[in-house]
Amino acid sequence: MKKLLSILCVCLSVPVFGQMKADDVQTFTLDNGMKFLVIEDGSIPNANMYLFYKVGSRNEHPGITGLSHFFEHMMFNGAEKYGPKEFDRVMEYNGGANNAYTTQDVTVYTNWFPNSALEVIFDLEADRIGSLSIDSAMVESERGVVLSERSTGLENSPWRVLGEAVNSTAFLEHSYNWSVIGYESDIKNWKKEDLEEYFNTYYDPSNCVIVISGDVKFDEVKQLAESYMAPIPSTRQPKPVHLVEPPQTGERRITVQKEVSSPYMIVGYHTPNTQHGDFYALDILSSILSRGKTSRLYSALVDQKQLATGVFTNFGESFDPNLFSVYAVAAREVDEADLEEAIYEEIEKVKAEGIKEDELQKIKNQKLMDFYSQIETINGKSNNIGTYELFFGDYRKMFDAPEEYEKVTMDDIQRVANEYFKKSNRTVGVLKANVED
Amino acid sequence: MLRTNFMRKFIDRLIILVLAYFIVIPFSMGQTAGFQLPEYEKFTLNNGLTVYMMQQAEVPTISFSALIPAGAIQDGENSGISFLTAAALQFGTENYSKSEIEEALDFIGANLNSSSTKEYAQVSARFASKDTETVLPIIKEVITAPKFDAEEVEKERKRMISNLERDRESPRSVISSYWEKFLFADHAYGNPARGTVSTVESFTASDLESFYQQHYAPDNSAIALVGDFDLAEMKTKIEEMFSSWEKTSGNNSANLNEPELALDSSRVMLVNKGDARETTFLIGGKGVKRDNPDYVAIQVVNTVLGGRFTSWLNDELRVNTGLTYGANSRFTPMKYAGTFAISTFTATENTEETIDRALQVYERMHSEGIDEETLTSAKNYVKGQFPPNYETSRQLAGLLTQMFWYGFDENYINTFQANVEELDTQKAQQIIEQYFPKENLQFLLIGKSEDIKSIAQKYGEVVEKEITEDGF
Repeated sequence: MKKLLSILCVCLSVPVFGQMKADDVQTFTLDNGMKFLVIEDGSIPNANMYLFYKVGSRNEHPGITGLSHFFEHMMFNGAEKYGPKEFDRVMEYNGGANNAYTTQDVTVYTNWFPNSALEVIFDLEADRIGSLSIDSAMVESERGVVLSERSTGLENSPWRVLGEAVNSTAFLEHSYNWSVIGYESDIKNWKKEDLEEYFNTYYDPSNCVIVISGDVKFDEVKQLAESYMAPIPSTRQPKPVHLVEPPQTGERRITVQKEVSSPYMIVGYHTPNTQHGDFYALDILSSILSRGKTSRLYSALVDQKQLATGVFTNFGESFDPNLFSVYAVAAREVDEADLEEAIYEEIEKVKAEGIKEDELQKIKNQKLMDFYSQIETINGKSNNIGTYELFFGDYRKMFDAPEEYEKVTMDDIQRVANEYFKKSNRTVGVLKANVED
Repeated sequence: MLRTNFMRKFIDRLIILVLAYFIVIPFSMGQTAGFQLPEYEKFTLNNGLTVYMMQQAEVPTISFSALIPAGAIQDGENSGISFLTAAALQFGTENYSKSEIEEALDFIGANLNSSSTKEYAQVSARFASKDTETVLPIIKEVITAPKFDAEEVEKERKRMISNLERDRESPRSVISSYWEKFLFADHAYGNPARGTVSTVESFTASDLESFYQQHYAPDNSAIALVGDFDLAEMKTKIEEMFSSWEKTSGNNSANLNEPELALDSSRVMLVNKGDARETTFLIGGKGVKRDNPDYVAIQVVNTVLGGRFTSWLNDELRVNTGLTYGANSRFTPMKYAGTFAISTFTATENTEETIDRALQVYERMHSEGIDEETLTSAKNYVKGQFPPNYETSRQLAGLLTQMFWYGFDENYINTFQANVEELDTQKAQQIIEQYFPKENLQFLLIGKSEDIKSIAQKYGEVVEKEITEDGF
């Protein structure tokens, strides 16, 4: 429960490092706009294919909330050549496995397979991207699956319940307002036509970046891409999301009731998107606050004051300005007001006094270790390269990151803390059992 | 949101912002041609400590793993003592204070974990090769010379109690503890891995100290190092450091008798969670031990039943009927015991239909066996998904200490493919009959009793519990 969202948060500090360089990533773009990034790595006889589509719940509107995620499920339910169930059957018969995930910003499909299956994977993906067929009976059974997914999340994770409440309070106009899974009433209501429209709008080849890592050869990948993907025509460009969240001008608070043994709390501050100049300073600040036992919030709240049993922060990649959030779980018999006060006390210390030089160096050292972990596996490579390409606009930024982190000074950290950690800019969510009627 | 659930720890965090397509299934084992375990060295120090070393130079880091026979099966009356002891190893040692350890490691981005499972305690670390001289002496003291500072133990004890209470808010977090208690009863394998509130309440630093003295010793323990280092140099270093670790005066071996399961009738344990909107359940019984000669074949057969997305259980309960987000089956093989369970969850009102359909799928496997094409597919899948399990130095260090505990060697990896290949439909049928329990199935349901009690009674004699009640 202590690490950041691993899928979302790629390690951002990437030193110039012998084992992997920007030049190790080979790229090409097909005429239909589909871009490929390829990393040859023969350390195990396997490979992967990660398909990043630039569509997520931010592209939705009330009435079709949750459709991006539902659509992700429908991508497995039959196309022209491979009918219902065939995608998974063929993939597994060939030794491959898959998964997929949807976030506010993107939908990502992940295939892992022995290198011998590369062509089959191309065939399967080309079939569903080129000619998905939406079967009404499959829509109905998948509706049940997604309702179960929604319910099991709410049943097992108080964070999910509270996180949704905080987002809907912090965002009044922007589409980050609703959850990725969507409203139950929308899940029960959308029609086949909604799905078809969605597919035609967002699953254009030009809206997709494909990353392949593993025991493959670039030339073979290129030739397979030409024969399987190039024939899929590009027909339209999705409309950009125009919604802008107006500045927050006063603290917002929300309380949620759930049978829990002690309160859960989220404090979220509006912060800029990934391509903003303050990204690196805020990312370092997030680590200073909550990474490891010597981090400020852990040390104060969990260790010294024993007000919380756990605390972490999240500041992830995001297309549009999103939240920098602090998460804390109160210790037994601790009043959540005391916990909240202690969080602010630590934040105010950074605002007033800044941070120490060795704290900054510590984070830079940790980022180096993160990088080693990220490139140790072929999946880490694909996920990171793809995330940089989408969120930072260019996979090469992954290799520039060390320099970006080096540039961050102690003054920058203090400045961004003062800029964004304001009372009027925060939303506070509390989930607890004893809510007043 | 994910298509399927990966590892659970992931999901709890991801779930805030991300949905996955599917729960990735516990048993992924497979292999492609020629996948062999890299060479490693194994030797034993004079004090009995077993040491494994393997060089891997892909990144300039080292992964360390230690396994000590001090898991929950050693708890006795003191449920949770193994878990708290393992956590407390880092609270200061002979030459390092708690904060010195934390500051030294955090500053260089090294991580150090100490924890315990049902069967053993583990200390693992990962650090940059250049920091070896800083990290190894700390690891050595954490394992061989911890001082259980009373104040820190007290703080951790309180956190542990909060966590135990919080686990009860999530059926998924507690279901295995109920299951193992239900099957193994008073045998040591029935002990919950993380203890119970009522026992943890009373622990003091001196209880931890005596548990440590009795169970942490070099004989019957192993350490493994995998990563970027010079083998000869590292060998010398490890010998110098760990040879002084003294054996215990008593016996720290973890030998247990295989539990005798009294599963002579179908029983249902119904755990009431008053605010539940779904029923989370397991159906199963006795499994196999890790040293079972048919271990690989069992994995392949289970892949067909409930070990992958197109498995028969997931196909029926998720794909055909939309009753659940995911259904699977798994064997949990341990050193002296094992369990088997079909596992899924569904909205309260669909409880009966889901259980019945799961049973139908299971009965069909027993009556009809596995067809040739499905078996071939499962074999390909298991082989294809195998190598990524042994890709990183951390995974390899873990594998080496597992070899020690479960008594297997590189042959498991190197002959995996051949063993998978060998399986035919006839042998598969025999595996089903021999290892997949058919009679006297056991049922564990966590949900809203009021709504599902009458359904539970259909399947056997019902025992009821409250999820908020201490113990399992």
